[in-house]
Amino acid sequence: MARNTVDKPLMKKSAIFGLIVIAIAIATIITTYSSSSTYGSFSDAKKTTDELHIVGHLDKGKELYYDAAKDANYFSFFVKDNKGEECKVIYTNTKPQDFEKSEQIVLTGRMIGNEFHASTILMKCPSKYTQDKIEVTEFKAKSASI
Amino acid sequence: MDIAFQGEHLLPGNIGRVFVILSFGAALLSALSYYFATTSTNKLDNSWLKMGRIAFWANSISILGVGVMLFYVIYNHYFEYHYAWAYTSRSLPVYYIVSGFWNGQEGGFLLWTFWQAVLGNVLIWRAKSWEKPVMAVISFSQVFLASMLLGIEVFGARIGSSPFLLLRNAVEGPIFSRPDYLSFIKDGQGMNPLLQNYWMVIHPPTLFLGLASVVVPFAYAIAGLWQKRYKEWVAPAISYGLFSAMILGTGVIMGSLWAYESLNFGGFWAWDPVENASIFPWLTLVGALHVLIVYKNTGHSYFTATFLVLMSFVLVLYSSFLARSGVLGETSVHAFTDLGMFWHLVIFILVFLALSVYLLVARWKEMPISKKDEDTYSREFWMFVGAIFLGLSCFHLILVTSIPVWNRMFGTKIAPPIDLVGHYNVIQGSFAMVIAILTGFAQFLKYKKTDVTRFFITTGLYLFFAAAITALVVYTSGLYKLHFVFVLVMLGSIYSVLVNGKVLADALKGKLKLAGSAVAHIGFALMLVGSLIAAGTRKVVSNNESGNINIKGFDRGTADAKVGGDVHENIMMYRNEPVKMGPYTVTYIGDSVSVPNYYYKMDYKRYDANGKITEEFILKPNAQINPQMGLVSSPDTKHYLFHDLYTHITAIPEIKDRSAAGSGDEAAHGEENDDKNYEEPIPHEVAVGDTIPYRDGYIVLKSLNKEAKVQNIPLTGDDVAISAKLEVVSHTKTYEADPVYMIKNKTVLDFARKVEDAGLKLRLSKIIPDKNKVEIVVYQQPQNKKPWIVMRALDFPYINFLWSGTIIMIIGFLLSIRRRNSELKTV
Repeated sequence: MARNTVDKPLMKKSAIFGLIVIAIAIATIITTYSSSSTYGSFSDAKKTTDELHIVGHLDKGKELYYDAAKDANYFSFFVKDNKGEECKVIYTNTKPQDFEKSEQIVLTGRMIGNEFHASTILMKCPSKYTQDKIEVTEFKAKSASI
Repeated sequence: MDIAFQGEHLLPGNIGRVFVILSFGAALLSALSYYFATTSTNKLDNSWLKMGRIAFWANSISILGVGVMLFYVIYNHYFEYHYAWAYTSRSLPVYYIVSGFWNGQEGGFLLWTFWQAVLGNVLIWRAKSWEKPVMAVISFSQVFLASMLLGIEVFGARIGSSPFLLLRNAVEGPIFSRPDYLSFIKDGQGMNPLLQNYWMVIHPPTLFLGLASVVVPFAYAIAGLWQKRYKEWVAPAISYGLFSAMILGTGVIMGSLWAYESLNFGGFWAWDPVENASIFPWLTLVGALHVLIVYKNTGHSYFTATFLVLMSFVLVLYSSFLARSGVLGETSVHAFTDLGMFWHLVIFILVFLALSVYLLVARWKEMPISKKDEDTYSREFWMFVGAIFLGLSCFHLILVTSIPVWNRMFGTKIAPPIDLVGHYNVIQGSFAMVIAILTGFAQFLKYKKTDVTRFFITTGLYLFFAAAITALVVYTSGLYKLHFVFVLVMLGSIYSVLVNGKVLADALKGKLKLAGSAVAHIGFALMLVGSLIAAGTRKVVSNNESGNINIKGFDRGTADAKVGGDVHENIMMYRNEPVKMGPYTVTYIGDSVSVPNYYYKMDYKRYDANGKITEEFILKPNAQINPQMGLVSSPDTKHYLFHDLYTHITAIPEIKDRSAAGSGDEAAHGEENDDKNYEEPIPHEVAVGDTIPYRDGYIVLKSLNKEAKVQNIPLTGDDVAISAKLEVVSHTKTYEADPVYMIKNKTVLDFARKVEDAGLKLRLSKIIPDKNKVEIVVYQQPQNKKPWIVMRALDFPYINFLWSGTIIMIIGFLLSIRRRNSELKTV
């Protein structure tokens, strides 16, 4: 009973704890929001020194350069972003598997000079889970048998 | 449209479809029957209950029927079915046919509904007075899962996706207008090679059992609120909840073991949205279990416990929505694409969320929520705090993982943090630290009231020891170089191990029933220790210091250090050229093919100070050439007790090139063509015993054989054939070669010999009798024509703590389940 008289002038402990929890939740939201980045284009990338995400697709007409004999950690290629702007991209790592087949690429990185230096590449390949490719595959089988 | 297609096997699909519809109908009937059985006021009338049971059994049998038919289709390679065509192929070994079964989304739902049916049968058998309301909830959930497999059109909208969809209905193509189209489809697309791993045979069923079993505590909570049996539902929910958390946790860790063993991102956890989604329900469920125990012992935290139990199941549904609706889009590597079930999944979540919220609101005033505060120095208060922090950790995971969902809901365009892994590591690390410390000192507190002075002395003492050990660990492992949060997590984990170790020691002396929680907490803390050290102080063995040739326009000096995080982790290896890597000398000694796998033999040697070999082993990382996915490489790992050496291939020459440069038979290409594969030839005039130096070693002319024979070329009259016996020493290896010089019918011929492993071609091109010498022409392969691979080797220290921690945690869960079950019987 003595404890109750001491506690009375203060807030209830559960109320204090509830406030702390809400504070942490809000802090989490703010941290997440402030560390989140944006999707942009190559022209946005030229204006900033921050890293950002760029969604685009591989220009399959231009050269993909990777020569492991010279440097196993240098891979360059050209990407057209969703606004149609094209830029040379450098990725200082090995060439990702099945890169040529990607239909969409999400790059993170920043501009250095006129080249975009990518730190990560995420690509969506059509063949992994969808069935878009059946026509090609089937047509081959057909012509081969006739 | 009415084409009589030839060679199709439509019967198994039709039977399967009937079973799918039957399972849906039976689930619906069962849910309604159990609902009326629960609400019926006539205690003597058991007809609703009987009907509910029979319908549920019919549902279970139908699900088995669907499974058998699907297996039949896959096993017999009936590629007229889309499922068999998309996920399996003829070359797939039988044991992977089993994993082909749950490769697609439909198989996943089938597995889920199967486990839910199994659990439902267990409950019919054991739930006694709880059977009616609990089974009403579970049958209701079965209705939704069954509807996911329907694949029928209602008012122009397709409901669910059937595993028995025919290929010709799934895919557009002119080929399907031919009645004999099936004769052109010789094989299926085959399984994603990454899934062809033994972990993929057992990981999905375990994970799905874990996810499916969350419905049981949920059903008890709903039943408790619905039937106003507010206190009674808690005890059985603890038992089932412990089981569920144990299986779900095991399933998640199996997934990370699979990633570690067979994926090549170099780790065991990547914070991929789909991975995160699988631990949402685990976090809330573990939180829920703690407050359920608090409620059982003290009567506090009723609302929190109920809320967390209800949320766990809603989060199971939400995580399946994230993985299957296609909403994650470009943020996840392994989310499924939308099968047209987006809104179907949303409705599934909303219905169960609405049910939970409705019952919480409707019963709010009657719930046994304690008005009194917990004592600050009581175990229940800090267990409650711990549960809330588990909830917060889950909240943060949901917040970041769901960024694409927020974008879709609010039309924003937020991208995930650039350094996503760092973001997760630091914030989740902070929560983990708090939780680990709580798993420690809450053990010193007693329920209701604790002697404060004694508590502070023991806590302080253990904290002091933990700090001392942490300092030692952090210093020796190099963890101090990382963010300070990780040092704190280490402190919390070690503290937790020490305190729970003491509790365990006490338990072994007497109160054995208390051992479960101590063991589970030790396991959890060891998992934190293992993953912290392994992920945090992972060392790159294949440091690429030399061998860089700068490329024009790319100056490494200006490149930001952050760009391309793992620059220089990859090393180019030529065959038979040893490379020193950390403590090892590594040689790429060759490859073997076991279609479709290419195994690259990497020979690891360790020398002591005197140059003696102290250790030698061969790792065989493999690469698969898959027609759909190109190169897919899997690592190979040398496991030591305290660290793992992980090696994987990051690039190989195109296989086409390799066979051209690799095989010795190139008659078809002609000599001139072949010479293009070599650098400018260098002629040497040598006598017997002379040595010819070349880039990788030297060549000795041992002797000349004047009676050489060449197969299929008979020598006559004046013909001469001379062969040179050459010894080639390349690095540490010795090879032999005997090129032949021949005069046949007055024409000079010569037969070059190749030493593939050394990348050499040798010709005996001239005989110079007056000098008693011969001319040997040396063709060297340029560096990039020699067989090569690019590899990466990593060292994961103390990763076994993670795996052994998992096993210890499972044991802890098992002990707790035993204890709670024995309590169930006595109460």
